[in-house]
Amino acid sequence: MSIQGIIFANIYDSSLGELTNKRTMASLPYGGRYRQIDFTLSNMSNAGIRRIGIISRYNYQSLMAHIGSGDEWDLDLQEGGLEYLTPFSLSSESSYRGKIDALNSVMAYLEYGGDDDYVVLADSSVLCNIDLQKVVEAHIASGRDMTIVAKKGIANGTKLLDLAMTLDENGEIDDMAVDYVAPENYCASMGLFIMDKKTLIRNVENCMARSYYRFERDLILRLWQKGELSVNIYLFDGVALFNESTEEYYKNNLALIRKDVREGLFGPRPIYTKVRDRVPTYYGENTITENCVVADGCMLEGCLVNSVVFRDVTIKEGARVKNCLVMNDTVIGENCELECVILDKNVTVRPGSKLIGTSKNPIIIKRGEIV
Amino acid sequence: MYFNKKRCIAMLLAGGQGSRLKVLTEKTAKPAVPFGGKYRIIDFPLSNCVNSGIDTVGILTQYQPLELNEYIGNGQPWGLNKTHSCAQVLPPYERHDKKSGWYKGTANAIYQNIDFIERFDPEYVVILSGDHIYKMDYDAMVRYHEKHKADCTIAVRDVPLEEASRFGILNTNPDHSIYEFEEKPAKPKSTNASMGIYVFNWKVLREFLIADEEDPTSSNDFGKNIIPKLLNSGHKLMAYTFDGYWKDVGTIDSLWEANMELLGKNPAFNIRGDEKFKIFARNNALHSTYIDANAKTVNCFIAEGSEVYGTVRHSVISTGCTIGEGALVEDSVIMPGVSIATGAIVRHAIIGEGTKICRGAVVGGTFAPNERKKISVTHKNAVLEENTVLLPGEMI
Repeated sequence: MSIQGIIFANIYDSSLGELTNKRTMASLPYGGRYRQIDFTLSNMSNAGIRRIGIISRYNYQSLMAHIGSGDEWDLDLQEGGLEYLTPFSLSSESSYRGKIDALNSVMAYLEYGGDDDYVVLADSSVLCNIDLQKVVEAHIASGRDMTIVAKKGIANGTKLLDLAMTLDENGEIDDMAVDYVAPENYCASMGLFIMDKKTLIRNVENCMARSYYRFERDLILRLWQKGELSVNIYLFDGVALFNESTEEYYKNNLALIRKDVREGLFGPRPIYTKVRDRVPTYYGENTITENCVVADGCMLEGCLVNSVVFRDVTIKEGARVKNCLVMNDTVIGENCELECVILDKNVTVRPGSKLIGTSKNPIIIKRGEIV
Repeated sequence: MYFNKKRCIAMLLAGGQGSRLKVLTEKTAKPAVPFGGKYRIIDFPLSNCVNSGIDTVGILTQYQPLELNEYIGNGQPWGLNKTHSCAQVLPPYERHDKKSGWYKGTANAIYQNIDFIERFDPEYVVILSGDHIYKMDYDAMVRYHEKHKADCTIAVRDVPLEEASRFGILNTNPDHSIYEFEEKPAKPKSTNASMGIYVFNWKVLREFLIADEEDPTSSNDFGKNIIPKLLNSGHKLMAYTFDGYWKDVGTIDSLWEANMELLGKNPAFNIRGDEKFKIFARNNALHSTYIDANAKTVNCFIAEGSEVYGTVRHSVISTGCTIGEGALVEDSVIMPGVSIATGAIVRHAIIGEGTKICRGAVVGGTFAPNERKKISVTHKNAVLEENTVLLPGEMI
């Protein structure tokens, strides 16, 4: 049994506003030292998937800089490995409207190396540590055309889900809906799908022939309703973090303060990321650090509470930082007071500044800004 | 073979036992001993090579090489895995001419690898050892060597006169040329201590290595044999003064001190410093460190992948450690993967890799500022049972 991976790098970009102005959803920094795609790539790599295509529509410079040859994920291979499927690598289309469009435009890649039996399709907005080998085995055992990995407890009556379903007592789908603000009894698709390759190709071609381009709406819901697609649901019971809005992204970073979240996300299988090889973080004489997740290379001299600090951050003496996400290379000057702020990479906060946001509406300081 | 031609290559002597590090080198070669939270001692000379533009490094291993070999791997972390660069591990091997066997001394180790060096047809060979913590531009030393048309240049540093009798002392003329070498002199004439870093003209060194091998009375050592023989035969030896931070971490006390010298706002050794002299290390996939609400982290280094619930003061905590609730770590070096359980106390200690310190155990003690610190040490993967005591200066 061999498995191919397809990762969609741009899904949900627009819902994260300023944070994804100059990067893809996949390359959004997370948890001190990661980019969102690290989880998907590591899950695939840990399951022995050795041929992975990354479909990216725009803004992919930071993504490519991060992943490079894929060495850190053991994907820098003689046979297979990573393939960047960017619009400019295609002959005719310059961009695409939805995932079916995107898959259709990389049909040659899907068909090439036709010895892969199954395809795992993944978005990069949901972070989890999942045994994909087990999921594929469950898919095969189900005998269905497709397996959707889903999570209970995400639907809350306010969150818009792109695919949601209810299950009967036998685990069979009762109802399925797309773009739906689902009530709590629905489980949410984690944007993780398994299909055998021939079925995937056939269905993409059928959809394209009818000008259907949206994967969840057209390939899944429509075909399922018509009885042309049999669907198995794999309920994932581990930690799954949906980063589909700025508020969720903020909250899910701070969730790493919880031990169960850290353990569920970073184990038992390792999550790999690009090596930056920095010195250990230095905690100064007068520093106070409480309830924080701290990456390497930092110089911490101020007071830091309930925050996530990325690599090479400097927090000067007398600064008070609370409920913040502080990304790579950012410098927070002396005696600043920051609360509920997302500081993107390379931000400089001048000494004595005061920035107070709320947890519903954290202040976002854009990459490279001086405030 | 054109691209294999190198102006300068380095040979790193990493085979010594490092017996003065006691339990820390019981199963590990000294260069593989962890340092500074995420590094190993060998990262310093290796990174110095790369930062000095030396892309070919032979690493001579002999004593307990398993961990060291694994750590070096293909040299990728230091960028030494490219088409025209290498970090080549060179263990002793069986030869056709019955001269095989263990490396008898530092010079014999290089002698046995003449063929390796010849492949690169170098002008200069830099000889390094794997037991010092420092950042140094070897290329500046090679240029100095070249400029003075020397046959051999030895890096020296000024040591206090009262300590000079512990070192190999080089007595020099006003132009820094060396006229005499004295190994640990009782009455030192100068304070130029050899750092064990040599630049040789390869042709000259090759000739002396072969001659030295034929000499049955020789102990085949650079300091004891090769350098005196070069001096006696009228070759030009120069002293190259290095005044940056340099620390021999060959003893428990000096290893502990060197770790402590990383700390403070203006540390004695600034490992951060200049990006051009970055120290590279092999990195594992570890998540960010978590510092709990009840933790106190004061004047310390904490590497990635750790979880801190207790108090850490003036210490170096390496990758993947857990410091339990109410535990106290002070003035200590905690090597990778150590877990210190709730309520345990660790002071003035070096805790070996993977050690488990159980609940309520007490390691080491406190000392008056001027008192000699007696460092407690645990070996790799040691287990200190609940409520046990490891006295100051004690080792397990």
